[in-house]
Order: sequence, then C-alpha cells, then structure tokens
Amino acid sequence: MTSWLPFVLYAAAAAAYFRHFSRRDPRTGRTATGLLGAALLAHTFLIGMQTMQAGYAPLVGTTAAVSAFVWLLGLAYLYVELTSEERAMGVFVAVLLAALAILPALNPQTEPRPALLRSPLFTVHVLSMLFAYASFALAFVLGITYVLLFKEIKAKHLGYFYTRLPSLQTLDVMNGRAVVVGWLFLTCGLIVGGVWATQIGGSPDPRAQAMSFGDPKILVALISWVIYSFALFARRAIGWTGRRAAWLSAFAFVLVLLNLVPVGYFLTRSHNF
Amino acid sequence: MRLFAVSVSHRTAPVELRECVDFTRRGIDGALTALTERTRAREAVVLSTCNRAEIYAGGDGDGVAEACGRFIGDYNGVAWDSIAPHVVIYRGLDAAMHLFRVAAGLDSLVVGEPQILGQVKSAYAAATGVKTTGALTNRLFTSAFSVGKRVRSETHLGEGAVSVSYAAIALARKIFRDLKGLNVVILGAGEMAKLTGLHLQAQQIKGLTIASRTLATAEALAGRLRGRAVPWASLGDALSAADIVVTATGSTEPVLTRARVEDAMRPRRGRPLFIIDIAVPRDVEPGVGELDQVFLYNIDDLQAIVHENLSRRSAEIERAESIVRQELDRFGAWMQSREVLPTVIALRQRFDAIRQSELKRLEPKLAPLSPEARERVDEITHLIVEKLLLTPTEQLKSTRDESLAVAYADAVNRLFALQAPKADEDAGDLP
Repeated sequence: MTSWLPFVLYAAAAAAYFRHFSRRDPRTGRTATGLLGAALLAHTFLIGMQTMQAGYAPLVGTTAAVSAFVWLLGLAYLYVELTSEERAMGVFVAVLLAALAILPALNPQTEPRPALLRSPLFTVHVLSMLFAYASFALAFVLGITYVLLFKEIKAKHLGYFYTRLPSLQTLDVMNGRAVVVGWLFLTCGLIVGGVWATQIGGSPDPRAQAMSFGDPKILVALISWVIYSFALFARRAIGWTGRRAAWLSAFAFVLVLLNLVPVGYFLTRSHNF
Repeated sequence: MRLFAVSVSHRTAPVELRECVDFTRRGIDGALTALTERTRAREAVVLSTCNRAEIYAGGDGDGVAEACGRFIGDYNGVAWDSIAPHVVIYRGLDAAMHLFRVAAGLDSLVVGEPQILGQVKSAYAAATGVKTTGALTNRLFTSAFSVGKRVRSETHLGEGAVSVSYAAIALARKIFRDLKGLNVVILGAGEMAKLTGLHLQAQQIKGLTIASRTLATAEALAGRLRGRAVPWASLGDALSAADIVVTATGSTEPVLTRARVEDAMRPRRGRPLFIIDIAVPRDVEPGVGELDQVFLYNIDDLQAIVHENLSRRSAEIERAESIVRQELDRFGAWMQSREVLPTVIALRQRFDAIRQSELKRLEPKLAPLSPEARERVDEITHLIVEKLLLTPTEQLKSTRDESLAVAYADAVNRLFALQAPKADEDAGDLP
C-alpha cells in the first residue's frame, strides 16, 4: 500500500497542476505545489525505509533507477519552481512524474545487491546519471513549452499558452542552464562509470563482461552525451538558441527516456541488475 | 448617520466639465477640510481622477448629500446650474455598490484598468491623513479594497492589453523577459514614430536609435527622445544590433525587405527580433515574418489582439459583478447591525444595571456567604442575564430588512424605556 502512495500523490499533483494551468487560479497552484511536496516526502520516506531494510541505497535494477529518477526530477523541479516562482511548467513535469511513478509502484521490492555493485563508484555513477537525466527532463519540458509559445506568437494567434507561459527568453535561458547542469552530471557519471567498469573488468559476472561500447545502454548514453555536447557547442558558437535549442533538447531527452526505460528493461546485457 | 456618494464621472459628464471639477489641482487635503467645514458631512473621502470627481461621505439629515453635490461645483468655481444635471447621488447601499464597482474597475472607461484601485487607496489615505474618516468610511473602504483585490486575483478582468501600444509592449515582454536592456530602432521620424518612441522610453529601454531618409529629421527626433540618429545608409548595422524595430515611415514601398532583414539576422546568432510595423501602407514585406526568430506584427495584427482582449474582458464582467454583490451583502449586514447596535448596547446595560442593583439590595442577606459563594452568586446572575439576552440580541442583529430592523430596535427601545445613543456615536465596529 505504501508503495502506491507516492504514485497517487504524484498523480494528484499532476491533476492539480493541470487544473491550475487551465484555470490560472493561484490557490489551486499552491495546492498543486503542496501535493507535489507531499508526494516527494512520501517518496523520500519510502526510499529511506527501503535503504534501512536492505542496508544499501535502493539503486539496483531499472525499476529502482526509475524511482530514484522520479524523486530527483521532482526535487529539481520543486527547487526551480520555488526559486523562479514560475508554476506553468509543473503540469508537464508532474505528468511525467506520475507516469513514471507507476513502474516502482507496480514492483516495489528492493532488488538484492550483487557483489559487483558494492562500490561507492556505483552509487556515484547512478546518482550522477539520474540527476543528469532529471536536468534533461526539465530542459525537455522547457523546450516543448518554448516551441508551443513560439508557434503561437509566430502565428499571431495569442491564446492558451500565451497567457500561461513565461517569456520565450526566460524559457530559452532556463533551457540552456538545465542542459549545462545535465551535461556536467552526465559527463561525471560517464567517467565514473568507465572507471568502475575497468575495475570490475576481471569479474566473471556476465554483466561485467558485457560492459562495452557495443552494449545498447552504454551506446545510447554516449550518443546522448554527443548530442548534448553539440547542443552546448551550438548554442555558444553558432547561435542555436531558441527554437533550435528547444527542439534539440526535446529530441535528446526522448533518447534519454528510451535508454532509461525500454533499453534498461529489455535490451541491455550489461546493466540488467 | 447615513452613507451617500456624490459622483461626477465619465458616465455622466463630458470631459470639459470633468476637467473643471478636478480636486487634485488645489490639493485633496484642502478639499476635505473645506468639505467638512462647509457641509454637515461627518465623514468624507474625496476621489478625484481624470475620469471622476466623487465624494463618499456620511452625515445626518437629508440635505447633506445635496450640499456635497453643490460643494463639488462651489469649490471648483463652477456654477451649480451647469453641473447639476451631471451630478449623481447614491444613498445607502447604492453608494457602497458604486464604490465597490469603481474599485473593481467595472465603472472605468476601459473596463478592468488597473490604476483605479491604487487611486481609491490614495484617496482613502489622504482622508485618513486629515482625519475625515470614521467607523463608516473605514469599513466602506476596507471592503472596497477587498473587492478590488478579489476581482484582480479571482477574475481575469484586468488581463490582456486593450490598447495597441500596450499590446505591443505585452508582446515584447513575452518574447524578451523585460524591456530593460533592449535596443530599439525606430524607422521614420513622424508623429507616429515620436509617440512610439515616447512610449518605449517610459519602459526604460537601453538604447533608442532613429533612422530616417533625411538625417536631419532623425536627429531632431533623437534629440527630443534622448536617442541616437543614424543615417539611412548604416541602417543594416542598426538592425543587427536591434531587439525591437518599429517602422513608421511614410514610404509607399516596403523599406524592410526580406533580403535586408535576412542580412541583418546573420550576425545575430539566433537572437530574436521583434518587428512592429505601424505604418500604413506597410513598411515591411510580409515574407520577413517567415524568417526564423523574427516576429513580425503590423498594426492590424495588434488591433486584432486588442479586440480579442476586450471581448475576453467583457466575459469576465459577470464574475466581477458577483464578487461585488457578495461583498455588498457583507457590508449591508454590517450596516444593519450598526443600526441596531446602540439598542443592543443599551438593552444589555439596562439588564446589567438591574442585576447590580438587585445584588446591592440583597447585600445584607449575602454578607454571611463565603467569598467563593458570593462569586458563584455573581456568576449565576450574570449567566441568567446573558441567556435572557442571547436570543433577542441575535434576532436584532440578524434582521436583513433595514426598515424592519429599525422598527424592532424602536420597539425594544419603547418596551424597555431605553434611551439608545445615536448610531454613529458607537465606539467602532461590531465584534
């Protein structure tokens, strides 16, 4: 039952954010933020319980990774909302949170930790990667909203999004920042992961043997790194800001999401813990 | 004391007359003092804006409202005969409703305009400054502020620009974060260019550049607008550095061609460019709007936005009116209870006096009791009085019909031979 509580609260927050977005009623907005805060508290409590029961952080396996991703994204978004006093993005983030929170709710067991993962490098690697993904998720939402608003202004049809979203420049600047933060953590996570993979290279575990650039999970992560590196370069050097940057960060996150969920569950041979 | 409002507004008087009855010319403080000296108004607030000259006041007797109406003319040196047909007097709850609708922006020339609430607030502040407010006007204006606040936060009455220039500025704010730090280029040096420049300068933009076919006229306008004039030949550089371009030339051919803007966009590295074409015939080729990161709006587009916003506002009027009605109900209930309050106080005083005198009469018999028992007797008698008075007090206070409430109060006064003090002599608000 407790395993469903975060999902239920995330879903309620998503509904409240949606209502707030369509009605623009500040009270509903505060309720939405409160519900998201409650969901994160419940989620923190759940992760804490699992850590105490198992004796290690519940980061083993794709479901646990998705759960930690949801938690980090929720925290990152809440931080952005409280510092920027901008609630319009909440509906997009909360829908993503609620959708992904179904997975850990369906499968709440903590996976046993194989000997292979008993390294602090593993924890650093996973947390860095997940935080990078959370940043990219924010960039994705900012990119999507940028495109929606851009289209309205360009088409001279000022309507639904025009009255609800912050300015294009704000969305663009926040998108740029989210990509920078995500890229730093992604780079860090990849390096730590690489170091750790060489350390366990001698292990007979088939998964340690599968740690290679050819493994889908590793390959897609590296492709994402290349795309985000290009996005950073393009923004600074060739003026790919605004709509192009928005599309790029939206497309790149789709890749990240594919890597996190379907690749993580079905395709990888190195990361299926 | 009766509440009333005397109003000369854009609904009742032409602008020439409104200009003559502007209290701000000689200072609101002086007007308030003169008003309370010359009329029998016991509380007064003067609201004077370019669209209205109004007095909200309380006073005894029938002629006070008319005297205040005359005061509007006398004080401003306008003959009564010429303003009499334009003065409207609201009494009682109608006066409160009028103020609430004014504070909500429902009575404004442009419905929902945001300045009026601030003007109502400063009118009240001025009156408290010279101490012409009292229990009645205090309550009235506090209620009006909460109407204004609620309408602003619970409805979209004030949303959306309703003039072309504000629509353009609102658009600029949706493209760029704010206008501070932006470079604006104006093409043309005519009247439209000047007005736009003045409007933009008020937004604290960073730089204003004016380009015109004849450099001299551009320089003349730049001097007036604290801007910089550039010769037509170096327009390309100015465009590359601009964030907002306003075109207002008298040219019959488009001055900004697609090729020209494309060239200007190249060194910008994706920085957006907002082009506002207010010239008729148009100064900008329509194809310019298809360029990436270029937002092109002409005067017709802006007018279409204004029309849409106006119709959206009128859809919000009903919601704002219902907030006015809710607050009016509450204010009405307070006024009502205020009518009967002196009777309630007198009734309680009478009952307590009886209790005290009976206790005094029985003093010899009570003397042998212990202090605890005496205290108990005191408490019991007090409770009996409280219980006896509870229902009649509630009935008196909750009567909605004003004349009925007055009749009840009258009956109670007679039945108990009370001499209730006058309604306005009470110390303040009901608990």
